[in-house]
Amino acid sequence: MPGSGSEALRGRRALIVEDEYLIAFDLARTLEDLGVGVVGPARSVADALALIATEAKIDAAVLDINLGGEKAYPIADALLTRRVPFVFVTGYDSWIIPAAYAGAPRCEKPVDVRVLARLLFNER
Amino acid sequence: MSDEPDHSRLSHSPGSDELLRLAVESATDFAIFSMDPDGLVTGWNVGAERLLGYEEEEIVGRDGDVIFTPEDRAAGVPDAERAEALAQGRAEDERWHMRKDGSRFWGSGLLMPLAERRVGFIKVLRDRTERYVAQKRLRESEERFRVLATNIPQLVFRSRATGERSWGSPQWVDFTGLSSEESLGFGWLEAIHRDDRAATLAAWRAAEATGDYRVEHRIRRSADDDYRWHQTRAKPPDGGQGTATEWVGTSTDIHEMRSLQDRQKVLLAELQHRTRNLLAIIQSMARQMLRTSRSLQDFETEFESRLRALSRVQSLLAHDDYPAIDLRALVETELAAQGGSGDDPGKVRLEGPPVALPAPSAQALALALHELVINAVKHGALGQTGSRLAVSWRVEGHTGERRRVVLDWREDGVTMPSHLEQERPGYGRELIERALPYQLAAETRLDFSPEGVRCSIAVPLEDRRAKHAWVGI
Repeated sequence: MPGSGSEALRGRRALIVEDEYLIAFDLARTLEDLGVGVVGPARSVADALALIATEAKIDAAVLDINLGGEKAYPIADALLTRRVPFVFVTGYDSWIIPAAYAGAPRCEKPVDVRVLARLLFNER
Repeated sequence: MSDEPDHSRLSHSPGSDELLRLAVESATDFAIFSMDPDGLVTGWNVGAERLLGYEEEEIVGRDGDVIFTPEDRAAGVPDAERAEALAQGRAEDERWHMRKDGSRFWGSGLLMPLAERRVGFIKVLRDRTERYVAQKRLRESEERFRVLATNIPQLVFRSRATGERSWGSPQWVDFTGLSSEESLGFGWLEAIHRDDRAATLAAWRAAEATGDYRVEHRIRRSADDDYRWHQTRAKPPDGGQGTATEWVGTSTDIHEMRSLQDRQKVLLAELQHRTRNLLAIIQSMARQMLRTSRSLQDFETEFESRLRALSRVQSLLAHDDYPAIDLRALVETELAAQGGSGDDPGKVRLEGPPVALPAPSAQALALALHELVINAVKHGALGQTGSRLAVSWRVEGHTGERRRVVLDWREDGVTMPSHLEQERPGYGRELIERALPYQLAAETRLDFSPEGVRCSIAVPLEDRRAKHAWVGI
C-alpha cells in the first residue's frame, strides 16, 4: 500500500508493542507503507518501557494486552504519564480490561490497519 | 397426705362411702380399683371392667399385678411402684399394661397408698394409647428433623421474616464459631463478609414480599478464618401464609462451584484471545506472502501449506487447559505431514529426551520446523536418495530462567542446488533467524553447508509458573 498514506500520518512515529513476531512486523511494515515511522516493535513490558524512556518522539502507541504472560498495563501507565495516546489491540473482550483503561480505544484482532491508523492519529 | 386429699379423705370419712362409690362408679373412663397391702384386689369399678376386661367378681381377691405385662412383673415393677407410693405418697404409672385377653394398652395414672397404709392402695388408670402413640410419632418426627437438620452438610437456621434468627444448627455454630446465643437476632451477621452484609439484608427485605429468601454471600469459617461462598435460601414452612411464621433456611457451600465458574470464565476469555490471535497471525502471514510471492500460484501453494502447519499445532494445543507439547511429538507431526522418511526407515533419526514445550513456544517452533521440513522435501535430505536427516535435542542448564532446549537439525549427503544460496531471504529463513529470537528469545543459527542444511535452535524453557501465568488474569 505504498503511497496510500495520508499527509496526516507522514512523519508520525508509532510504538508497536506485540509479542507475536508475524503480527508485529506485518503491522510495522503496513504502518510504514502508510508513512508512519515505527518505534520497536517491542515484545515485552520491559522492552517497551525502555523505548518509552529513551525515544524522543512517540506520537502514539499500539498495545497488545497479553505479552507472553505479562499484561501491558504498566506500559499504558507510562504512556498516560507521557501523554501519548494509545490503542489496545487484543483478542480479549472488553470486560477483561481494567476500568482504569476503559477509556482507551480498542481494536479487535485481526485488525484493520486503516481503522487502527485513524484511531491512532486522527481522533485528537 | 394433705396435698392429695381427694380419694383418701373421701374414702374414709364417715358417711362418704356412698358418695365415693357413686363418684367411682360414674367415672367410667377411668379404671379405679383398690388393693390390699399385698396387691390383692379389694374393689373394682365399671371403668376398670371396661378397660381391663375383668369382671369385678372374678378379679376381687386376686392379684392385681395381672394388669402389668409379664416383662414388667419379671422386672419387679409392681413391687417397686408400691414401694415408691409408700415412700412418696404417690407413684406415677405410665407404661404398657395388659388386658384380660392379652392385648396391650398404654395406661397412664397413679398409685396412692390409702390414708391408713395398712389398708392398701388405690390405683387410677386411663387408656392413653392413642395420645401416647401420637406423641411417640411426634417425638420420632421431631427427632428425624433434628437428625436431618444437624447432620446435613448445610448450615440450618430458623428465622423471622425480617431475618432475625431464633435458632442455628450445630453445624452453623461449628462453622462460624459463633455460639447459638451470639447468633440470635442479627448476631449471625457477624459471620458474613463485611462486603456482603448489605446484599444479605436487602435479600431479606425482598423475601418478605416474595416468600423466598436467596442470596450468595461469603461466610467466615472459624477454623481458618477463611471466607467461603455460600448460597443461603429460606422459606416459610406454610408457603408464606401469615407473617408470624418462622422461616427455615440453609446455607450451602458453593465455593468450589464458584471457583470453577470463575475459572471457566477465564478459560473462555483465553479461548477468545487465542482464536483472535490466531486469525491475526494468519492475516499477517497472508499479507506478508502477498508482498513476496512471485505469482498467485506460489501464494496458494505456500499459504495453504503453512495454514495446515498452523492447524496441526492447534490440534496438539487443544488437548489440555494448560497445554504443554512434547517436542518429539511436534517434530514427528511435521515430518509425518510431509511423508516422513518415505520408503527408507533409516533416513530420519530423531533423538532426545522428553521436553514439554509451553504452548506459545510450540506454535512458533512448529512453524519454523515446517519450513525446515518443506525445504528438506524440496531441496534437501527428504527429497533425495542416499541423504539423511538427524534431528536431535538436549536440555541445557538447570531449573529456572536459564534452562533451555537446544535442537539440532542436520542434513547429510545432500546435493545442494547451486541457486539456493543466492535465493532471496525466504519466509522460512525469516521465521528461524528473526521470528524465533524475537518471540521466544531463542538463539538460532541456519547454515546451508555443502552437505546439507544445518540449523540450531535454542529455546528457553520458562519455569512452570511463568508459563501458566498467562492463563490466570
